[in-house]
Amino acid sequence: MSGDSTVPGTPSDPCVVAENVAMKYKVISTEEQSKPPSLHRKFLRRFKPNPNTVTVNALNELSLIVRRGESVGVIGRNGSGKSTLMKLISGQARPTSGAIHATSTPIMLGVNAALVPELAGDQNVILGGLAMGLAMEEIEARFDEIVEVSGLEKSIHLPMKSYSSGMGARLRFAIAACGNPEILLVDEALNTGDAQFAARSKRRMDELREKAGCVLLVSHSLTTIKDMTGRVVWLDKGDLIMDGEPKEVTKRYMEFTKLLAKGNNDSAFALRAELRSSLEMVNVVNAPESSRSPQVVR
Amino acid sequence: MTEAVGQLPQPAAVHDVPVDLSKLKRVGARPKFLDYLVQLWDFRQFTYYDARARIQSGTRRDKLGSAWLILNPIFNGLTYFLVFGLLLNTSKGIPNFIGYLVIGVFMYQITSGAIMSGARSMQQNKALVQGFSFPRAALPIGVNLREFLGNVPMIIAMLLIVLVVPPAEPITWRWLLLLPVLALQFAFNLGVGLILARMISKVNDITHLLPFFLRLVMYLSAVFYSLDRFKDHPTILKVMEANPMFIIIDITRDAVLYGVTPSLMSWAMLTAWASIVLVVGMVFFWRAEESYVRG
Ligand SMILES: Nc1ncnc2c1ncn2[C@@H]1O[C@H](COP(=O)(O)OP(=O)(O)O)[C@@H](O)[C@H]1O
Ligand SMILES: [Mg+2]
Repeated sequence: MSGDSTVPGTPSDPCVVAENVAMKYKVISTEEQSKPPSLHRKFLRRFKPNPNTVTVNALNELSLIVRRGESVGVIGRNGSGKSTLMKLISGQARPTSGAIHATSTPIMLGVNAALVPELAGDQNVILGGLAMGLAMEEIEARFDEIVEVSGLEKSIHLPMKSYSSGMGARLRFAIAACGNPEILLVDEALNTGDAQFAARSKRRMDELREKAGCVLLVSHSLTTIKDMTGRVVWLDKGDLIMDGEPKEVTKRYMEFTKLLAKGNNDSAFALRAELRSSLEMVNVVNAPESSRSPQVVR
Repeated sequence: MTEAVGQLPQPAAVHDVPVDLSKLKRVGARPKFLDYLVQLWDFRQFTYYDARARIQSGTRRDKLGSAWLILNPIFNGLTYFLVFGLLLNTSKGIPNFIGYLVIGVFMYQITSGAIMSGARSMQQNKALVQGFSFPRAALPIGVNLREFLGNVPMIIAMLLIVLVVPPAEPITWRWLLLLPVLALQFAFNLGVGLILARMISKVNDITHLLPFFLRLVMYLSAVFYSLDRFKDHPTILKVMEANPMFIIIDITRDAVLYGVTPSLMSWAMLTAWASIVLVVGMVFFWRAEESYVRG
């Protein structure tokens, strides 16, 4: 099912609700201060625990409601906060402020590889399955299928630390894909690995998407996004720019990136500002069922 | 990228959308304590598998493999025997010093190993914590279980040494008392591990202090000397006798080595230590449940 089920006028139940979430990272920068430090400063700096911390606003305050049956694509330039948003929704990171609410634990098909590096691939499959809350019998029943999806064959018995990053990502995908998540998050997993794996993982993804209650998909391929989603969210530098029909949003996003590629930054940012100023945002209000009035905004 | 960080304009409108949040669950939210315990029970297969899989991988790199689980405390015992038994002669007045020393060293190593691994369990499993949303205490529990399973050959070795090395001691029914001691020791180790695991997940520097702390505990637990040397200092003696590590070692020596039934007082003290530390550890660890993901 693609996201076309959100016909205006019939709001279905929300599956994922992001309520004013924001994410800041504190990182240590090696960038020198403008003034050259004096000798004793240099000496002191060796012992200072946090030499030069910088706050990165990965995601600015944002609210988002994804309803049952929706497939939402997330697009944006590198570093715009797409992966951060997915991590927050899946619970891999905790937002600096705000909260994520969901009907069940979202499962992310991501690209981060190692689970327990010193254990073999097959042991990681079982451990990962158990960690997702599957029963041992379920995992055993699906074990061959998982190994097949991962395409690792004999290497499944080797320690995971000996895997290439592509192999690790494939195994990670296969493990996450063996649960049948209600809420499925995909972060560019389609683009990992070789062509053979891409075909196999696409098949498994299609199955999962059909079963899942709702899907959030991050991809740089606008064709994938248009094919697979019924709604697209465009993030730029941690801000929401557009939220709407895939055709419209991807078209505008293409315009934007083309302008940037030509070095035409001013018109690019003018376009971005124009789109942002016509954006309709949501504000989540907690209301018990009875007092709810039908209203459609996204 | 050189880009003027232009201020973004305000959006056209912000619509209030009513949502019944009570129908949804907050992602990563900490459950109530009792629900948490139920969750842990539901994840018992994960905990057990985690423990078992890692025992096998732990010593795989060594040529002698799992023999090191026994060789390690034996070499430790030998070292202490050389230094304290022969050179410093702290063995004065201790009957069956070798047995005395072996039980002290082995029982101490069980606790120090378990506390060390328990303390590091969160920090060393970041990938697992960030990838999945199981109750986090499953990791320290799994690690303690792994330590316990890994220690079974060591305990058997300890008993064999007591049986075989002269003066050989006979087996009595009191050897069965080793089981409750090990259970209480497990609870105590787990409790301390849970407390330290939360602290280390916040302040990693504590990992560097831990070995010193554990060594101090060893020196204070009469592993290679007898508390009789403090019999003229009743206060010191009282404090030393309240040390849970000492009680564990002392009860084991009484039951396995000297054929004496350990006093009710020692049992009561050890039970109190173990249960209080475990409960405090569980609650303390659970209260930070949402923060471990941040690493
Ligand atoms: N773990 C992290 N620590 C520090 N900064 C991070 C971390 N993850 C992401 N960031 C920063 O947050 C911003 C958004 O990153 P990300 O969400 O990965 O973007 P995208 O997936 O859209 O390319 C970037 O500026 C990135 O440098
Ligand atoms: Mg990314």
